[in-house]
Amino acid sequence: MQSWRRKSLWLALLASWLLILLGLFPLLRLAVPTSPRAGAPQGWPRWLDTELLQSFAKPGELLEDGPRPPQALRGGSCNWGACFDTSKCRGGGLKVFVYPAAGPVSETRRRILASVEGSRYHTLSAAEACLLLLLSPDTSTGERDPVPPQWDGGRNHLVLSLHPAPCPRTFQLGQAMVAEASPTVDTFRPGFDVALPLLPEAHPLRGGAPGQLRQHSPRPGVALLALAEDGGRWHVAGTDFSACPWDGRCEQDRGPKQTHPGATLPNATFCLIPGRGPDVLHFLQALQAGCIPVLLSPRWELPFSEVIDWTKAAIVADERLPLQVLTALQEMPLTRVLALRQQTQFLWDAYFSSVEKVIHTTLEIIQDRIFGPSAHPSLLWNSPPGAILALPTFSPSPSDFPFYHLQQGSRPLGRFSALIWGGALGQPPLKLIQAVAGSEHCAQILVLWSSEKPPPTRWPKTAVPLTVIDGHRKVSDRFFPYSAISTDAILSLDAHSSLSTSEVDFAFVVWQSFPERMVGFLTWSHFWDEARGGWGYTAKRTNEFSMVLTSAAFYHRYYHTLFTHALPKALRTLADEAPTCVDVLMNFLVASVTKLPPIKVPYGMWHQEARPPPLEPGGPGLRQEPQPAAQNCINQMAAGFGHMPLVSSRLRLDPVLFKDPVSVLRKKYRSLEKP
Amino acid sequence: MCASVKYNIRGPALIPRMKTKHRIYYITLFSIVLLGLIATGMFQFWPHSIESSSDWSVQKRSIRDVPVVRLPADSPVPERGDLSCRMHTCFDVYRCGFNPKNKIKVYIYSLKKYVDDAGVPVSSTISQEYNELLTAVADSDYYTEDIARACLFIPSIDLLNQNALRVKETAQALAQLSRWDRGTNHLLFNMLPGGPPDYNTALDVPRDRALLAGGGFSTWTYRQGYDVSIPVYSPLSAEVDLPEKGPGPRRYFLLSSQMALHPEYREELAALQARHGEAVLVLDKCTNLSEGIPAARKRCHKHQVFDYPQVLQEATFCVVLRGARLGQAVLSDVLRAGCIPVIIADSYILPFSEVLDWKRASVAVPEEKMSDVHSILQSIPQRQIEEMQRQKWGSVSNPLFLPLIPPQSQGFTAIVLTYDRVESLFRVITEVSKVPSLSKLLVVWNNQNKNPPEDSLWPKIRVPLKVVRTAENKLSNRFFPYDEIETEAVLAIDDDIIMLTSDELQFGYEVWREFPDRLVGYPGRLHLWDHEMSKWKYESEWTNEVSMVLTGAAFYHKYFNYLYTYKMPGDIKNWVDAHMNCEDIAMNFLVANVTGKAVIKVTPRKKFKCPECTAIDGLSLDQTHMVERSECINKFASVFGTMPLKVVEHRADPVLYKDDFPEKLKSFPNIGSL
Repeated sequence: MQSWRRKSLWLALLASWLLILLGLFPLLRLAVPTSPRAGAPQGWPRWLDTELLQSFAKPGELLEDGPRPPQALRGGSCNWGACFDTSKCRGGGLKVFVYPAAGPVSETRRRILASVEGSRYHTLSAAEACLLLLLSPDTSTGERDPVPPQWDGGRNHLVLSLHPAPCPRTFQLGQAMVAEASPTVDTFRPGFDVALPLLPEAHPLRGGAPGQLRQHSPRPGVALLALAEDGGRWHVAGTDFSACPWDGRCEQDRGPKQTHPGATLPNATFCLIPGRGPDVLHFLQALQAGCIPVLLSPRWELPFSEVIDWTKAAIVADERLPLQVLTALQEMPLTRVLALRQQTQFLWDAYFSSVEKVIHTTLEIIQDRIFGPSAHPSLLWNSPPGAILALPTFSPSPSDFPFYHLQQGSRPLGRFSALIWGGALGQPPLKLIQAVAGSEHCAQILVLWSSEKPPPTRWPKTAVPLTVIDGHRKVSDRFFPYSAISTDAILSLDAHSSLSTSEVDFAFVVWQSFPERMVGFLTWSHFWDEARGGWGYTAKRTNEFSMVLTSAAFYHRYYHTLFTHALPKALRTLADEAPTCVDVLMNFLVASVTKLPPIKVPYGMWHQEARPPPLEPGGPGLRQEPQPAAQNCINQMAAGFGHMPLVSSRLRLDPVLFKDPVSVLRKKYRSLEKP
Repeated sequence: MCASVKYNIRGPALIPRMKTKHRIYYITLFSIVLLGLIATGMFQFWPHSIESSSDWSVQKRSIRDVPVVRLPADSPVPERGDLSCRMHTCFDVYRCGFNPKNKIKVYIYSLKKYVDDAGVPVSSTISQEYNELLTAVADSDYYTEDIARACLFIPSIDLLNQNALRVKETAQALAQLSRWDRGTNHLLFNMLPGGPPDYNTALDVPRDRALLAGGGFSTWTYRQGYDVSIPVYSPLSAEVDLPEKGPGPRRYFLLSSQMALHPEYREELAALQARHGEAVLVLDKCTNLSEGIPAARKRCHKHQVFDYPQVLQEATFCVVLRGARLGQAVLSDVLRAGCIPVIIADSYILPFSEVLDWKRASVAVPEEKMSDVHSILQSIPQRQIEEMQRQKWGSVSNPLFLPLIPPQSQGFTAIVLTYDRVESLFRVITEVSKVPSLSKLLVVWNNQNKNPPEDSLWPKIRVPLKVVRTAENKLSNRFFPYDEIETEAVLAIDDDIIMLTSDELQFGYEVWREFPDRLVGYPGRLHLWDHEMSKWKYESEWTNEVSMVLTGAAFYHKYFNYLYTYKMPGDIKNWVDAHMNCEDIAMNFLVANVTGKAVIKVTPRKKFKCPECTAIDGLSLDQTHMVERSECINKFASVFGTMPLKVVEHRADPVLYKDDFPEKLKSFPNIGSL
């Protein structure tokens, strides 16, 4: 096979991983039997008297590498250990203070300031901050900028510059770190500075445009190459690229020129990006388009290179080898093309699509340095949903998150905790507790008592432990990461929910197959309301759905952590004020992380009739039509997220023999089918 | 496989007296240095093919016969190392001429003994280690004797230890190499750089543009993407056999074994030990060892004597502190003992950091935080510690990992495999053509003895219909990645599946869109473990569980056709073609193995061929057939080395299936019940 003979990059990398798997470190103990070759004498000689050769170091020399006093700071050069004082970050972790802007503020700067202020690390007090953020001026006025008040030689400062520095800085950087767009490799200090992407002027503050990739594999007939040109344009080279399009020496045959006007995105499998200055803008375009960036001898540091493994999403090639590069691209195995394309989209969406994401990623990198060994493992940075959505404070072990079971070869824990939100209910929901406790998968029942009345002293006897937690009477309390929740799975319930043991059992087994999604019984669906020019949602039964009600749903306990620690406070406040919003918010959160719809499982219609009317007006009712105020909530959520994350599904997962005309004795979940 | 790996497997010449593990060390060292260069982008596109080098044997000479070269005192000295060098500025890629049969070629200068005007040697001729390293390179497929064909040049001048050479004279020796040319494309190896009192972190020998594979680089001297950081070789690790040790708690939590530490560090360590007692063990040189015991192999704490490096296996974490140099040989010992290194050496570039993620196997603590090291390590949960001890790299990676719902407008391509059942085939074509999202229909005509019916006889359908004739009647033809497949979704359907309704098929396609990385099909099957026979068994009864869907009627991503045709493990593909059976089971294994996910059975449909047929359709009727299918499962499980199939208890139905809801308002009303 030709592709086998002509190996390109990925095989080499594969081999490197294989080498590592073989055990790079324990290699010394590997003993591969070897056999001598025969033939004419040549090459490096075999010395007859190798015993005369001495070791490169004298016996003691390696062990007694003479002591030397701790190193003093090198002038001008800084690294993390020497120039950042992490003692200031103890206790509260990363706290970021940002110097207020003086004078008129450009739109981009306003967005950056808003992003920092909206971040979970922001503090208003420079004294308690462990990182001080200084925006470098948009344009150099030629005057000496005033040294900021808490400068202290630049210690614990991050100077943020969204444009590559064309001229020398107007004040001494001292010990400050620099986060700069597309820094040149010569001045970049790895592990200390942060490489940012070069953002276009109109980059959105929040949400951002989604990636353009609509399908996993390239469409047949799509151009192989697009070449970055000046002015943010792309030259699509089609499949005929016998003439290397970027090399002056073979320019005579460039083929028909299809130039995209303005900053439209390239439609090709690979995007060739020259390594010099202005073309870095093309880099983000290629990422967004799902066009694999092929960087030709880049002179700039790739964005967030400290944490992002760019070998999974881009190709760095030597601009002096046009023919080899073209051949290698043509012959790249399909598997690698697919993987690279998908990774570009994941990275775009996780770290680059908005100013907010870029800023939060920058702060996350600094936070990781402070955390040291408890920082995000590389896996969390380089696989969906990305490090911003995978909080290292939750757990350092990827297997504790809902996202990495496949990569880790692990499974979620085999039981669940039922969390019953008491609401204003004054009576213990006996029937519900019995039904849930009857499940073989139930580990414990937690009742979140939020009523003004004191909780009853007597609770029904159950086979599993029952704990009453005192809530703070806020709706968002129900999604607080209570330490009492000891299982991966949570069954979230309302006091007036009605479920049978069979339903609980089956839903939990389904959740184990989809631990990153919400698995629920009752659904809502969202729609675009032309008449009102906004989003709406309905509880009417339709052929599709995009939300499941948290009054009866399974999901991973990690979403409580995300809900409480990662959502903007404004959105949680909104949910507290309009309680139906809390369901919408939770569904938005999970959908924006997974990019997938929730899962619906069968729910007996007899529950509907038996259910008492909701006691809490406007509360998370079961089949209640959302009120106009609630309709507004979905639009406020969409604004807060910067986009509409909900995804619709048209299917329901039923037991394999559900309602089949076969003997009911053969069915495992027979009581799901009560008439 | 890439050259470096294949090379290891093939096992080149072994020189007498050279220990195998030393060899492996140097082979690996060199391979990783090359990989480091590859990672920088220089050789990304090199065809790493293996040229079967002609057999050869080596010359046998005495080290005493090495020719002597006298260096005049005024011979030129190269420029100091150029810190701005990058691959695209200082490396001459044109010397690495492109030729599909070529790979990176490495030339080694022949060994000479350099002396100054007074006849005093400028360095030791060659050390044992450097000789072994060069031998390993010379035995590899990278080696060439033809200096004109070489892309990389390795001087035989031994630079491993700067203490053992005279800096200026060595530089002069480098400059007079025949292809030196400012050091372009020359690769130098050094493990102990610098010397007292400053201890530079890179080799002090002026070397101009030469690439440096060095131990102990700091961020100030390391040219990212040009130099390669290598570990400092420790003879101790190579000499002593240490048993493998699994993850789990060890006797000591933290151990320090370095002997010559700065007093300030030693104080800090002593303080740690005083604070944490038994958990921390700080070892030092033994003062009163009896004669004949090598001091390098013993460590002492007060009067207690420990064997080194064995004692490293007793600790969870081992301190690797900066000495005069950043790179410490103890790192090799610690790694080999399976102790997690705690690296306290600010600005140290860890070995092979271009290709290795050190975060997964080590902990870096800033020098300033040394007094907190215990609490920093204590904060690492046990699970993470065990993951570090395992030093696990690599895992299952789903080739379609991006969560993405392909647009409905794309549609799907139906592929019907047929032999000669034309009447039934035409019925299937007519039925399938009613599905709204069908975009093309491909008939794979697997009968070489009979021509397909004339064009005019085929049913007239609204989408393109294409007939592909095959060269041989093989089952694998149904999974070939035909160019005609333009959609991502493929519906594989047998030519006798006549009962599936248009609603069922359209719904199946919608389900596939939500699970594009899975097999989404109609006939569900199960594998079971037969405890009596101690082997796998195929089950086609109607059970509560599913682990396979038959490709007689299933949607899947066309990428799996590529995988089936080109990447099927072992001899499965040929085996299936030879037995004319189990291609569907093979596809289930393949997809489950690469994605780690279960299949999705859609709709309750269980009968596919005729209403009056029994549950188990014709295909799977007789007992011998069941035995064969069971055999297939066992055969595939042994080839895959695992049982990748996942059992689930759910199937996918339309949201309103069997709900009390007006049928005419349902999107998919016509879902059959059996």
